[in-house]
Amino acid sequence: MRRLPVYLLLDTSGSMSGEPIEAVKNGVQMMIHSLRQNPQAIETAFVSIITFDTTAIQVIPLTDLASFQMVDLKARGVTAMGAALHLLADKLQNEVASTTPEQKGDWKPLVFIMTDGGPTDDWQRGHNKLKAVNKGLIVGCAAGHGADDTVLKQITNSVVRLDNADSESISKFFQWVTASISTTSTKVEESGKEVTGLEQLPPPPSKLVIIA
Amino acid sequence: MQIVKVNSIIDASRYYEYVDNGSPKQGGVKDVYFSPDRKYVVAFFRTPLDYNQKDRIKRIVTLYLENIKKGNAPDYFLQDIYRWPYDAVERDGKTGVIVPIYDSRFFFSKGYGVNDNIKGGEKVGKWFTAPSFRNKQYPLSLDSSELGDWISYFQIAISISRGVKKMHQMGLAHSDLSYNNVLVDPVTKSANIIDLDGLVVPGLFPPEVIGTADFIAPEVLRTKHLKLSDVGRILPNQRTDLHALAVLIYMYLLRRHPLRGGKIWDLDTEKDELMAMGEKALFVEHPNDKTNQVKTDQLRKWESFWGNPEKIPYTATGPYLSELFRRAFIDGLHNPMMRPIANEWETALLKTVDLIQPCSNTSCEEKWYVFDNTDKPACPFCGTPHKGTLPVADLYYKFKNDIWKPEGHRLMIYHNQYLFKWHASRKVIRNENLGPEDKKPVGYFVFHQHKWVLVNLALDGMKDLVTQQEIPRNAMVELTSGGKILLSNEEGGRLLYITITNL
Repeated sequence: MRRLPVYLLLDTSGSMSGEPIEAVKNGVQMMIHSLRQNPQAIETAFVSIITFDTTAIQVIPLTDLASFQMVDLKARGVTAMGAALHLLADKLQNEVASTTPEQKGDWKPLVFIMTDGGPTDDWQRGHNKLKAVNKGLIVGCAAGHGADDTVLKQITNSVVRLDNADSESISKFFQWVTASISTTSTKVEESGKEVTGLEQLPPPPSKLVIIA
Repeated sequence: MQIVKVNSIIDASRYYEYVDNGSPKQGGVKDVYFSPDRKYVVAFFRTPLDYNQKDRIKRIVTLYLENIKKGNAPDYFLQDIYRWPYDAVERDGKTGVIVPIYDSRFFFSKGYGVNDNIKGGEKVGKWFTAPSFRNKQYPLSLDSSELGDWISYFQIAISISRGVKKMHQMGLAHSDLSYNNVLVDPVTKSANIIDLDGLVVPGLFPPEVIGTADFIAPEVLRTKHLKLSDVGRILPNQRTDLHALAVLIYMYLLRRHPLRGGKIWDLDTEKDELMAMGEKALFVEHPNDKTNQVKTDQLRKWESFWGNPEKIPYTATGPYLSELFRRAFIDGLHNPMMRPIANEWETALLKTVDLIQPCSNTSCEEKWYVFDNTDKPACPFCGTPHKGTLPVADLYYKFKNDIWKPEGHRLMIYHNQYLFKWHASRKVIRNENLGPEDKKPVGYFVFHQHKWVLVNLALDGMKDLVTQQEIPRNAMVELTSGGKILLSNEEGGRLLYITITNL
């Protein structure tokens, strides 16, 4: 059966410490809880989490919703977004199955990148590698005033902005991510069609501003 | 939180109320609000409807509702089979339908075995057609108290078949029959067809959606690229409903999709999907063409039992249903006129229920199986062999004078099995029109002091034709191989021909 791979790239740099990082952890857990109420999402969606601070780590490999176990996240260091893009490109190549004459491949992946700052490393190198391998939809989320959306806009046409990086906004963002995964997994199962743009996802909540 | 009052657009003197707390339950195209007494919902279409769409809604809540009310078994259809919208309203340019609330049995009372995450959630069909949710090792498996047994799904399939039969009798097509539009409850063995506001009146209102991927008929997908005005374009209609019905029944009984096999038709995902369900659609269990058979090494571990047709082939559903599955997925897959109609499914399901045997393994998850006509019958689900002798009763009807002909209907007998009027008489047909009187047992079979016997409860003129012995009410007759038992001397009364197998 085809899977819908979902990658969450989460900024865990020092500026996220305190309320924001707690809100992110809570948001992921609420997301899994809600998705586990949707039988179509359970059948199709597989979720991976890549965090980036001074380095980028895939803290959870692409995992089905039934087996998914959240891990603790700590905020520290700088914002190696380029390394995260590079790692994402690797994972898209290794974890996402393409169709072969013998085996059905996965649906196009859905990627969410959330950051409250700007990259501190050479993000373009990672981005170039990602461009070469990515076939799916990438949604960028600039969280709070300090977030630099100019880089996100160069990575994807689909960027949303959170006015604040507080727990309420972050929680709203994850609700929207949840609805997007739900909609996409239902859509691929019900219509056999893939999601290619932000306009095909559910409308974001009022606190999320679409800026590109 | 406020209570909003809206007037009917059919009869302005009628009004409805709903609670608006700002966050209605969101369906695919509608926002759903509950009435304060929670007896009905007001479901508003999010986008304004055009003239045709409104006209169709009006007909559904007036003309077609009246047809059901005036027709046979109206209470059965309106309570046990459909959630039929019964009025229409308008507010701020948006059209809404008034629909009776879903019965509480269609909400999970436990849900998952390990937690309460889906407790209270709607029992849409998808939960019961996917193999993983019933695999005990799966972390998100449903609690066994939610799953029912194999007979539950026969009754569910019978209800859906009757619902489709009635719609087609009224000249309507559902157009989007899928596991999302059917609520099921394996516990009480019931099913409700919901979201009936999209019904298609052939020739009058074209369908607005082509359906849900797993259930769209091949000819609809094959001609999807053509313009709506093109004469070659095929839109959902009664024949495509019959494809969806066959897929639904297959999925409820066998928990896998009949056309989703191992064959890759195109390296592009969307194209591959379109071909696999459309022009190239091929039954995964096709006896001669193995092209699309399931690649069992590619199944997820939670799906390895039901997902593998070699473990439980479609023939496990018995001869009557196997024949219909062949017609639906082999002969009629690309030839819509060959597809079995809803009435045929209903009959085959009911006849198959008479072939069902209880599994002697008390911890068997399915508890029942269809006798497979072999020398060594065994439960296909848990492998437990049948213990003891197995009486078979073939039904015969009086052709003329002393000539009796077979009905093509067989009753597999088990301990404490009931005999009903529809077995004893040709004049009583087992369908939704049966009254409570007709549903009372007229006899029963028991294994008594090492003998199989039939006890007469309510039949007049029962007679053992071998010994010429009358069997009055409350008397019993032993079943022996070659036995011929006249069930009733009334017109239409049937004869049972007994064979004892598994000796």
